[in-house]
Amino acid sequence: MKLSRRMVLKGIGGASLALPLLESFAPRSAKAQEIVPPFAVFFRQACGVASQQNTGEIGNEPERFWPNAMGALSAATMQGRAVEELVDYADKLLIVGNVNYGNFDFGDGHARGAMQGLVGRPPAVNGAGGDSEAGGESLDHRIGRELNPGGRDSLYMYAGTPGGWLGGPCISHRGMADRRAAHHNPQGAYDAVAGPGAGETSEAAALLASRQNSINDLLRDQIGSLMGHARLSGNDRQRLQLHLDAVRDLEVQIACMGEMALEQTLDGAEPIYQSSDGDDIWAITRMHMDITALAIACGYTRSAAIQIGSGNDGGNRYRDPDSGQLMENYHYISHRRLSHDSSGAVIAGSDLLHHKVDRQFGQQFKYLLDRLSAYVMPDGQTLLEHGVAAWYNDNGNGPGHSTNNVPWILAGGANGFLKQGEYVDLNGGQNGSNVSLIHNTIGAAAGVRMQDGSLMSDFGDPGLPRGVDNALLA
Amino acid sequence: MLSAPGGGPASVKSGSSPKVDNMVERAWVSGSGTALGCERGSRAAHWVGGVVALLLAAGCSGEINVTGGAPGGSEPGDGLPGGAGSPGDGDGDLPAGSDVSDPGSDAPGDGPSDPFDPTSGDSDFGPEMPASAPRMVRLTHSQWENTVRDLLLLEAGDELPEFRPDPTVGGFLFDNDSTSLQVDESLWNGYQRAAVDLAALVAGDAARIAKIAPSGSDDAATGAETFIRGFGQRAHRRPLTDDQVNDYLALHAMAPALYPSAGAYEAGIQMLLEAFLQSPHFLYRIEASDEVAGEVIPLDDWEVASKLSYALWGTMPDDSLFTAAEAGELRDAAALRSQVERLVGDPRVEVTVQSFHAQLLEIEEFYGVSPSSTFYPDAPGDLGELAITEHELFIQDLVFEQDGGYREMLTSTRTFVNDDLAAIYGVSGTFDDTFVAVDLDPAERKGIFTQVGFLATNASSADPDPIHRGVFMAERIACLHIAAPDAATPPIPATEGRTNREVIEEHTEMPGSICASCHSTLINPFGFPFESYDAVGAFRTEDNGFPVDTTASPLIDGEPTMVDGALDLIEALADTADVHECYTRHWLEYLHGRPESEDDASITERLGDSSVRGELPVRQLLIEAVMSPTFLTRSTEELP
Repeated sequence: MKLSRRMVLKGIGGASLALPLLESFAPRSAKAQEIVPPFAVFFRQACGVASQQNTGEIGNEPERFWPNAMGALSAATMQGRAVEELVDYADKLLIVGNVNYGNFDFGDGHARGAMQGLVGRPPAVNGAGGDSEAGGESLDHRIGRELNPGGRDSLYMYAGTPGGWLGGPCISHRGMADRRAAHHNPQGAYDAVAGPGAGETSEAAALLASRQNSINDLLRDQIGSLMGHARLSGNDRQRLQLHLDAVRDLEVQIACMGEMALEQTLDGAEPIYQSSDGDDIWAITRMHMDITALAIACGYTRSAAIQIGSGNDGGNRYRDPDSGQLMENYHYISHRRLSHDSSGAVIAGSDLLHHKVDRQFGQQFKYLLDRLSAYVMPDGQTLLEHGVAAWYNDNGNGPGHSTNNVPWILAGGANGFLKQGEYVDLNGGQNGSNVSLIHNTIGAAAGVRMQDGSLMSDFGDPGLPRGVDNALLA
Repeated sequence: MLSAPGGGPASVKSGSSPKVDNMVERAWVSGSGTALGCERGSRAAHWVGGVVALLLAAGCSGEINVTGGAPGGSEPGDGLPGGAGSPGDGDGDLPAGSDVSDPGSDAPGDGPSDPFDPTSGDSDFGPEMPASAPRMVRLTHSQWENTVRDLLLLEAGDELPEFRPDPTVGGFLFDNDSTSLQVDESLWNGYQRAAVDLAALVAGDAARIAKIAPSGSDDAATGAETFIRGFGQRAHRRPLTDDQVNDYLALHAMAPALYPSAGAYEAGIQMLLEAFLQSPHFLYRIEASDEVAGEVIPLDDWEVASKLSYALWGTMPDDSLFTAAEAGELRDAAALRSQVERLVGDPRVEVTVQSFHAQLLEIEEFYGVSPSSTFYPDAPGDLGELAITEHELFIQDLVFEQDGGYREMLTSTRTFVNDDLAAIYGVSGTFDDTFVAVDLDPAERKGIFTQVGFLATNASSADPDPIHRGVFMAERIACLHIAAPDAATPPIPATEGRTNREVIEEHTEMPGSICASCHSTLINPFGFPFESYDAVGAFRTEDNGFPVDTTASPLIDGEPTMVDGALDLIEALADTADVHECYTRHWLEYLHGRPESEDDASITERLGDSSVRGELPVRQLLIEAVMSPTFLTRSTEELP
């Protein structure tokens, strides 16, 4: 068997793609006109942003994050604000204000944000604080389950020190109190995307596939036999079913590989992927973004989530770009104090430091947009134009852990589905919890539909407004 | 009490990792929400046992319910272990009193006489019933690695892949919650790659094949079946059925065509190894037994062998256990106890003991210790790492050299210091970067919670943190439940001429406030006694120019109990059965890989009772925990 059916698309930024034969990507003329399927990528920041507020520690803090005017985005409206980092993409952005999370009883402001940011539901157990678990499936997982090949899980990756508040990875959930594992090491994520046959000659890959598929037959029988146990619990059955679903036959034509430069970059991940140094964290983040763009371009997934830092991002120390020195850990800065709570001494100028961290997140998000823009698909459009990438937060601001006006910065029109180049308020600026509106809108933009073919409208807590916010649509 | 300095293990250089370092690191996974998050101090609501005071979560109203059981522990048992609990002689021997000829009589407090029958014997604590638990328990990543090394007899330098970490489970302290260990596509991909690579490694080396292939495996006619039955029994950890053998034979027959560059024999081995390493019978520890005997389902010999081996060693059974299982000996109480004592007496149990304490006490958080150079200019920059080394040496010495139990862990003045820690502890003498055993001043120190690690971790960079010290002691050590704090916690005000305690009291104990309901009764009383230790753990008598006040009335044994200082608090805790039951409960969670259950009440009370009387060294606790029907049988009720 040969791999001649694969083609290679050159990316602008040096990455290339050994593309699988996916019908919608295929260069055949009959298919070339078809729309590349939409997707969604979620890039999560913790601890709120340096927006205008009055804090007990600093006093009146000026607005440093949001554009200075609603409506059309421009260099002028973004100037001096953290979103200025994205000015090159101003015409592709949809900055959404007034995203208000549910004021659910998580017993902890970070848990309330992190466990709700992609879920929009109250916790599995009220008031559990640092032991909180989410109350339902996360949006990235829902998109993957419904739209990915074979219902494959969304790609979920994590950058930063392991462990920490809420145990580290905490934004992607298979269901209530069913948290997903994240790839820390980008190499592992790449291996998953590329598949076991990556890098092999066509003949070797074919032999590998034949062997593995024969073994898979045996394994399916074994798992099936175990599932036939008369006294198997629901928990056992659910986990075995997940295992059984994961046993996929290898298909030579779906190898999805980055070019040598990416693989060489990934070689550098091992020593730094658990580092607390901001430079290392951003290096790992960019690798995750490289893999995300590759995986989406390949058709491996239509949903990905990249989480930076633990539940309160308290283990990471970003660098002050002006001095090059490590700042206090981000959680301290967001609290404006030298402690994980309200007991430490005030950090002078920490509102400005928070703003610097916000800008660094913005720079990483821009890198993601660069990578998505580097892939030119068979229809001549960039990958970014086919989907939507979201830079979102757990909280609205720092010490207050506000559930209101939580930043959601969208980029990409999802094949013309979403409005672009504007700063708008969700739900017409009305007060009240409304996070499910942004969730359903993004889900719908990624292609999730109800059984009757209508736009996704059932995601999130039934007690909150749900459905698509038409004001966000193109 | 423990012995005087000088009898400890070999000293360890600071900066170098003692043997335990690597083993523990390998077992650590996530630290489960261990950072001092803002609004920290909450742990999941969970069942807290029959004798533990439970403060209702509704705003910590101050209402205290003591549910079931008698405060102070149950009635004393009528039989004491024959000398168990006496400090050992440091030679690694098991506790005295392990009489294999009469296994029932030396069980602390007289547990069930038949470890497979919860109702056997005349226990003072009631039947020891098993809790509902999964039948399919996926190996943790460290168990997978250990198992692969033992199954394939790998060499020390052979590297194994690092799998993506498993997720944390909120409210569960350890890394082995069996209900949440899953195989999704990403992990499956990792298993697949590992199987291919390992099979190639072994099959490509005749010497490696020879090590794992049963005699006769190279026979052209019968070798394949010989290999499948022999190696397969070790991979599946039980004999293969004929159908399973035939399935593997069919796979073996395909091998020559699929490995064209290998010889037929090597190809067959490689194909089979790939399959065995991906089999669910390898990746899971399976409890398939379903025959009810009395009120439980006893595990069969093979299941017992695996459950013991993974619980105590974190790996597959060794040849001795397999042989005992094959001979049907593991259903015999005396033979079983003999095997259990062998396992607990083996150095491989050290990883388990270290990993348990590392996770229970959140040792990973020690790395975050960062005292202010303004207030503590002499504090070493690697204080957290030094504290970890001290902790690991302390556990190793106490459990395996001194044969100590939880009482000694709480009260021992013996620890290990280098020059930096000696300075903090105020130990006189000449020290360098080598860790050596010392006895700390008994007027200032008692046990693990007066050591630098706990004290400095639960402190800000400048001041001790009585809130977090108190929360940790109340929740983790006394198994009290504390509701999560209000989300809008106001900042702690500046000291302004007051002591740290006065600031905290004013801030958290305002009469009638929602904060006071928890802080005044549950949290602060467990934290204020530690005010005699500063933010790096050094002893102090003054705070901000005023004498420290370490008096408090923590809730001990269900009652507010007046104590004067940390040593008084620790003595009170060490004398309280609830506290020993709490420690036992955590061990049961870890050994079973599941959250605590109401069904654990009898064994928890029995072992807690022995422990509080100083008659249950940690290693004896392990023996008793796995020699119980709670461990060796299944509930007739499956999980939902």
